Amino acid sequence: MNTKAIQESLIEVDKDCRTFRINREAYYSQEVFEMEKALIFDKCWLYLGHRSEIPNKGDFLTRTVMGRNLIFQHSRKGELVAFYNTCTHRGAAVCWDRKGNSKVHSCRYHGWVYDTEGKLKSMNTETGYPEDINADGHLDLPRVRVEEYGGLNFVNFNDNAISLYDFLGEQVRDLLDSINAQSAEEMIILPGEHAYSINANYKFLIENSADGYHLGPVHQTYLEFLADKYSGTKESGVFAKMANFQEKGGAYAMGNGHFLLSSNVPTGRPVGYWIEEWGPDIKKEIGANRQRLTDQLGQERADYICDMQKNSVIFPNLVINDILALTIRVIEPVSPIAMKVNAWCLAPKEESDELKEIRLDNFVSFLGPSGFGSPDDGSMLNSAQKSITACPTEWTELSKGMQGVDDLRVASGMTDDETHMQGYWTQWDMLMRGAVSLEQQI
Amino acid sequence: MSQNHMITRQEAEDFLYYEAELLDDWRLLEWKELYTDDSSYEVASTDCEDPFNADPARSLFVLADKKSRIDARAVRLMKRAAHCEYPHSKTRHLYTNVRIAGTRGKETRVRANVVVYRTGNDKTTNFMGEMRYVLVREGTDIRIKSKRIALDLNSLNDAGQMTIII
Repeated sequence: MNTKAIQESLIEVDKDCRTFRINREAYYSQEVFEMEKALIFDKCWLYLGHRSEIPNKGDFLTRTVMGRNLIFQHSRKGELVAFYNTCTHRGAAVCWDRKGNSKVHSCRYHGWVYDTEGKLKSMNTETGYPEDINADGHLDLPRVRVEEYGGLNFVNFNDNAISLYDFLGEQVRDLLDSINAQSAEEMIILPGEHAYSINANYKFLIENSADGYHLGPVHQTYLEFLADKYSGTKESGVFAKMANFQEKGGAYAMGNGHFLLSSNVPTGRPVGYWIEEWGPDIKKEIGANRQRLTDQLGQERADYICDMQKNSVIFPNLVINDILALTIRVIEPVSPIAMKVNAWCLAPKEESDELKEIRLDNFVSFLGPSGFGSPDDGSMLNSAQKSITACPTEWTELSKGMQGVDDLRVASGMTDDETHMQGYWTQWDMLMRGAVSLEQQI
Repeated sequence: MSQNHMITRQEAEDFLYYEAELLDDWRLLEWKELYTDDSSYEVASTDCEDPFNADPARSLFVLADKKSRIDARAVRLMKRAAHCEYPHSKTRHLYTNVRIAGTRGKETRVRANVVVYRTGNDKTTNFMGEMRYVLVREGTDIRIKSKRIALDLNSLNDAGQMTIII
């Protein structure tokens, strides 16, 4: 594996001219992709799953993270752990189910048995092995480091990595707190998964996931759909409202490459932003939740949680859309020009059936493989991927809203700026050049 | 006189073939008229364990439209600005193995298999699965009260996204 940092930067930043350019090789080169795997994905915290998906001791689910087959396990001791899903004997997967509850994992090949801590309990034979063969534990399932923040569990393939807490940093923790505050009890993942793919470099979708600039052109038909739906209600005038899109919120680089678009789009928000279409009972429920948040956290914070649409990227590949629904989206690159996408719906545990129905309906109305929004995004990405590869234009111009500040990783711009993406790319570039470390200093 | 409401297998087949024809011909504004005012069109998530009993109000579906969004979907996909289907894909809907699964009052339940070939740009993908309909007779016409599809897929990774109507 090539773990050597690149010598030459793939971004070109001119702070005087306020330009920020990305060499397009970053979107298609196999060499760059191999280095990204080693220098970014093997160093950063990567999303694995949510606590609510394995609530009971013995619960597990199997998931792939950067091509590694993992078991995400709620152990009998009550810890959330992860290990590789491969028998230490001859390599077969020890768990073939997507999810379940079990006291042990038994390999189907020769019958080796592991407990929920990954400890080898039986080799299914009385003969042929020295009794203390696993005294050092090398035949236990290899563990992967797991850390959790607010129900979100991440893995890190670098044992020397800084903690998840530090990796996220204050601004992302604050954002996740604003999500978890939406429930008086706890946030849970609802059943059902979106699993689809896009033939494009993963960073195209990262940029797109919190891009305020593309809304008008790409999502024109969605805005027309809203305008139609809202006509005659107090939410009518969608296009007039979109014209004031820059008035509130902004594009924020949140440090360590994480970024956020906070904005106003008049779709309503199940947490605390009611629209007429949803009816009086829902108004009451949403109003009560808003009141709870105001009482607990104060007016300003409650307004932020309830009113602002937040599209965020947690570096390098997790998207949390806290918009008309609350979605967790993991983008897994599979090659320089292809990605897999998995997405789930997050909701307050205590939410009424009626509001849950609205939440889920909102989700599929815009997002996912058949929504009125995401597929149009996907076609932009496909189109860009096909066109950039064999083209004399060497640089992508990502300059909108470029700030003349020292550290672009904490800069902010207007809602339709690219300032926050510049923060992502700056961190990306620094990791690729070895100019920043995500390891603990010993 | 429930006899009058009964829909025969042959009628159901003819009706489904007509729906397939409208979809392949991209006559979506006519297609949406096949659906009753209280209808639904749904595709279960590919990880759903019980796709014909799951409830889109409780779990995430790939797609779950009620009549107003069925109409909106048809209208949207006919616009030039629906980028994911511009230009329109070439599709071939094969609806087969049509069976009457039961009748209740005015409703006839129909099961059928489906394969759709879709070519967009230079890429061809397939969607295959089972469809379950509830059909009703309205006057002399047959209409769709509900249509739910369970795809025989574990993800849409081969297909990418599902931008066409199945």
